[in-house]
Amino acid sequence: MEVKDLIRVLDAEVLCGEDFLGQEIIDFGASDLLSDILAYSKDNYVLLTGLTSSQVVRTAELTGAIAIVFVRGKLPPQEAIGLAKSHHIPLLKTDNLMFASCRKIAEELKKEEKNK
Amino acid sequence: MSTDYSQEKLTLVNELIYQIKVKEAMSKKVIFFKENVTFREIQLKLKEKKISGVPILDKERNIIGIVSIDDVITAFDKGYVDKKITDYMSRDVITIPQNFSVVSAINRLEKFKVGRLPVTESLDSKKIVGIITLSDILNRLLVVVQSIAEKVQDKEVNNTQISHDLIKRVERKPLRFEVKGDDFDSAGRVASITKKYFQNLGISKDIIRRIAIVCYEAEMNICLHSLGGSMIIEVNRNNAVIYAHDKGPGIPDVKLALKPGFTTASEKIRALGFGAGMGLPNIKRYADKLEIKSSLKTGTELKAIINLGVRNEIK
Ligand SMILES: Nc1ncnc2c1ncn2[C@@H]1O[C@H](COP(=O)(O)OP(=O)(O)O)[C@@H](O)[C@H]1O
Ligand SMILES: [Mg+2]
Repeated sequence: MEVKDLIRVLDAEVLCGEDFLGQEIIDFGASDLLSDILAYSKDNYVLLTGLTSSQVVRTAELTGAIAIVFVRGKLPPQEAIGLAKSHHIPLLKTDNLMFASCRKIAEELKKEEKNK
Repeated sequence: MSTDYSQEKLTLVNELIYQIKVKEAMSKKVIFFKENVTFREIQLKLKEKKISGVPILDKERNIIGIVSIDDVITAFDKGYVDKKITDYMSRDVITIPQNFSVVSAINRLEKFKVGRLPVTESLDSKKIVGIITLSDILNRLLVVVQSIAEKVQDKEVNNTQISHDLIKRVERKPLRFEVKGDDFDSAGRVASITKKYFQNLGISKDIIRRIAIVCYEAEMNICLHSLGGSMIIEVNRNNAVIYAHDKGPGIPDVKLALKPGFTTASEKIRALGFGAGMGLPNIKRYADKLEIKSSLKTGTELKAIINLGVRNEIK
């Protein structure tokens, strides 16, 4: 799955980083605890979170995330968007709740697996 | 690999224009006029102060208009230069609230093709607390970049391959950073710069990740739990050493602090996704060696070593 597929799967809106949506997703991390992200994430992963502070973007940047999805329709502040732009990390926003988002992604991954 | 350092600086400036607030960059001394003056009086002031426009304020310092040098020239042309400005000045003034980031100011200056923006106390106030121009913004940026850059010493090397020569040079010059206490917003800058720095040395992605995370957690602890301190990142031939020292108040029981889940962080910090008590355990997990010395008198000294060569399995 590529980052841009999330637009369809989660009915997401791209907030910034349109030019960097072509990367292949290796893993997903879903958490509202940044320390968990720091402890367990892998490179080239997509971060799903309900947090919107700049520190979320900082955490993503430092752990090698290739995109962030803000769930529950939350909008990050301007500083967070600026930080993401500076580090070329696309930000997406979806109205889906965290669980629904994860479920939709899991279904899509299953579909991809079958079509192989 | 050929990455150049200017990229890293651009990233920093880019970050900063979103972080620096108008309030920090503006001039607080505003030259202004009340409504009851003539264009000629304004023209004399503009000339004397070498400026290109002045806001017009009422008694409460609320903005009611602006007169630029163009308006004065028009007044000369049309023969009303000795008339009061009241009936002629433009009343649609583009302003900016003081708590906006300077990137908004830059956008407005460009979009409306104006040279200055009067700064209002807040979004729904017309009270003027300062004035901002592009050069105010550039000055502030320079000051901030300079203060950060001074700490990233002498990294302008041409060859970014990890050559013996380079390592030798770096060995002599560790990176040094000040870290402020109680400054949640800029926490992570040290880790970010350090990460880019190691990327430029061509070290493996996995090791860089570990260095970045250790730096970030240590930096966050200084920001959240101490009165401020400093970080030093040393690159040796075989390892990276991260020192995080602070001025106190120290950790009463280091063994307890190292337990996963132990935290004294406030509810506010936890709402922001931190303070899960996983910072020190994370550092321990990612570092090959960790030493913490802490005293309630002198503060906390953390030293983490990460081997650059063959990676030790993560515990
Ligand atoms: N530099 C420090 N100065 C004082 N106390 C600290 C410092 N670093 C850590 N601590 C204490 O150790 C606890 C655990 O730290 P950590 O594992 O990083 O978790 P967290 O930062 O999420 O609380 C902190 O809550 C704090 O009480
Ligand atoms: Mg911590």
